[in-house]
Amino acid sequence: MDYSIKETPESWQEGMAKNITFIVTKDCQLACKYCYLVGKNTKERMPWEVARQAIDYILDHEQDFPEESVIWDFIGGEPFLEIDLIDRICDYLKTEMFRRNHHWFDSYRFSFSTNGINYHEEKVQRFIAKNREHLSIGITIDGTERKHDMNRIWKVDGAERGSYADVVRNIPLWLSQFPDAGTKVTISSLDLPYIKESVLHLYALGIKEVNINVVFEDVWQSGDDRLFEDQLMSLADAIIDNDLYRHYACSFFSEDIGKPMDSKTDNGNWCGAGRMLAIDAAGDFYPCTRFAQYSLREKKAIKIGNIHDGINQNRLRPFLTLDRCTQSPQECIDCEMASGCAWCQGENYDAAETSTVYQRATAICKMHKARVRANNYYWNKLFRKLEQMGEERPQSKLTTVKC
Amino acid sequence: MLKYLVIQLDDTSVSFCHYPTADTAPRMISASDLRKGILFAMKENLNIQFVYPQRSLPDEYLSIIDSIDHTKIKPSTADDTSDADIVVIDGMEHAADVAWGSEQIYILRTGRARMQDIIPLIEHIKHIIKRLNIVITDIDTFTQHDFTTYAEVLHKTGEIVEKEYLAGNAVQINLLTDRMMLTSMNNCNAGHETLTLAPDGQFHICPAFYLESPDESCGDPENGVSIRNAQLYRLDHAPICRRCDSYQCRRCVWLNRHTTLEVNTPSHEQCVAAHIEREASRLTLEGIRRIGEFMPDVTIPEIDYNDPFEKHNNW
Repeated sequence: MDYSIKETPESWQEGMAKNITFIVTKDCQLACKYCYLVGKNTKERMPWEVARQAIDYILDHEQDFPEESVIWDFIGGEPFLEIDLIDRICDYLKTEMFRRNHHWFDSYRFSFSTNGINYHEEKVQRFIAKNREHLSIGITIDGTERKHDMNRIWKVDGAERGSYADVVRNIPLWLSQFPDAGTKVTISSLDLPYIKESVLHLYALGIKEVNINVVFEDVWQSGDDRLFEDQLMSLADAIIDNDLYRHYACSFFSEDIGKPMDSKTDNGNWCGAGRMLAIDAAGDFYPCTRFAQYSLREKKAIKIGNIHDGINQNRLRPFLTLDRCTQSPQECIDCEMASGCAWCQGENYDAAETSTVYQRATAICKMHKARVRANNYYWNKLFRKLEQMGEERPQSKLTTVKC
Repeated sequence: MLKYLVIQLDDTSVSFCHYPTADTAPRMISASDLRKGILFAMKENLNIQFVYPQRSLPDEYLSIIDSIDHTKIKPSTADDTSDADIVVIDGMEHAADVAWGSEQIYILRTGRARMQDIIPLIEHIKHIIKRLNIVITDIDTFTQHDFTTYAEVLHKTGEIVEKEYLAGNAVQINLLTDRMMLTSMNNCNAGHETLTLAPDGQFHICPAFYLESPDESCGDPENGVSIRNAQLYRLDHAPICRRCDSYQCRRCVWLNRHTTLEVNTPSHEQCVAAHIEREASRLTLEGIRRIGEFMPDVTIPEIDYNDPFEKHNNW
């Protein structure tokens, strides 16, 4: 009998790939209520000439991009609204990487995070067929129809209309092309009661990997942590009692979270801002898309250069030397449950009292602690079950269990 | 912990650091705010440094200033600099008109265009003055060529200083001799140890912050100091600087913000300049020690980089 636990697979070329993002449009068919993109609009579409100059700059400066591999990421808004531009960009990239004998040739991916609405369309499918071996596509579906349609609604005047039906019809096609693909679920305060049913629903649709996180913004109400914990424990019961852990993964449950962290040996930065590069329609460079103006509520965009002048290395220095403890309050440094508590550098910047990336936002503190409690419950229950069924518990799991 | 209060007496008070002296219309601090600032400093045990404009102050102000022990920072072009503790030469073009002496400290502000003039100037004043602080004002725009020139200038200056020390004249030139005498960081520390009371009656991180962003105050003498994210002005919250031993570096938080957008992160140019100074100090110290013991507690190891950031992947 197979008692193996499905683990979340590592990303392609994890830690060895440069992530370069084209913000091809700031438009989207949807107006999701939790969307952090406060400046979406229909006007800022990337012209081909800007995309070409960005590519030329990057490939011309091969020595400045020494990473083994590259992930060319396309986001919006909704990236597939610009499928013609994307197709042209990808053709140009392939041609130029080959022509220049660039070290990224044959070590690249094209990556998309889409709302899935246009997925079935002919142009999109033609693009997928052409680039299949180098593609990674994630469709965002939030769970049950009720949960999905609470937030992911069409951008229309008049009565609110959810987008679940328009997305779910494309899931079988997507999974037939990318059987191991995962989806990304975002949880805000109002979504908490629907976490369990949503994750199980996504499993039932055939999605084996559910990457899920609570929003970093300060939206949490009194009692939300208790509700969250209850939902996760209930989800844990369902996953374990129905043996779903063998073939399905949910990122909420991880053996590595909830432990104290050493301030010297475990002081790295969580976020990759500054190690990534994002380009917008105007040809400006950002350390990550969250530092472009359409992502920021309170602060001015942080530009690190543009396609004409190149990258201003001085603007990158704060990002590349940022460590966990320097940006964290003492409470976080001393926290007994610190590991796995994430942050978004862009949200940190936007929420900071001054114009700095060195002030960690702590709005998710109580939600992280609730997650850790439920996570401990999950692993204790799962390992006990495995033991009782004669499965030897892997040594690496022992540290998770408190005696 | 705060130790110093800079009181900028006028918007046009002379710059003693990297920022340019304002060429706006004069605006003096009010007598009332001046008194409040002095009272605050007395209660908080702060040393006061008054920064003067070129023009003379009314008698009322002189009388208020004299009510407290203090340091006077005056431009060399002021009508009377005889009572100044520190005289600022705001540009190499003014150096020829200075009545150099041994009782005062001098600050020379100059840009890369006249760096070479530092060498004959020091030859000229090395027996007269006790201390000269040199501020290279446009360090943030230095090119590789400028750095090469800077290294040459400091090397030649070091040779002059070395001879003077060997002859028993311990003249101090900040860019060369400070590092020879330091065993830990000795930076500007604006926002941590030093604060500025500006003519608007408000506290600011330093005069440069006030002149650039007058709306970003951090308290006032009546309501106290209120610096948001104050920890970022401390050395322990500066990831590059806390690992560095270019102890003489000004670590200018205003230049940091200007170039990297973060007060705790220096630019490449600031780091390279500081390391060129460090290397010139190392060689000068080595030369002085050839004939005897000098500052035995100080070590300046030879290193293979000019910018600590180059090593950040190993941290």
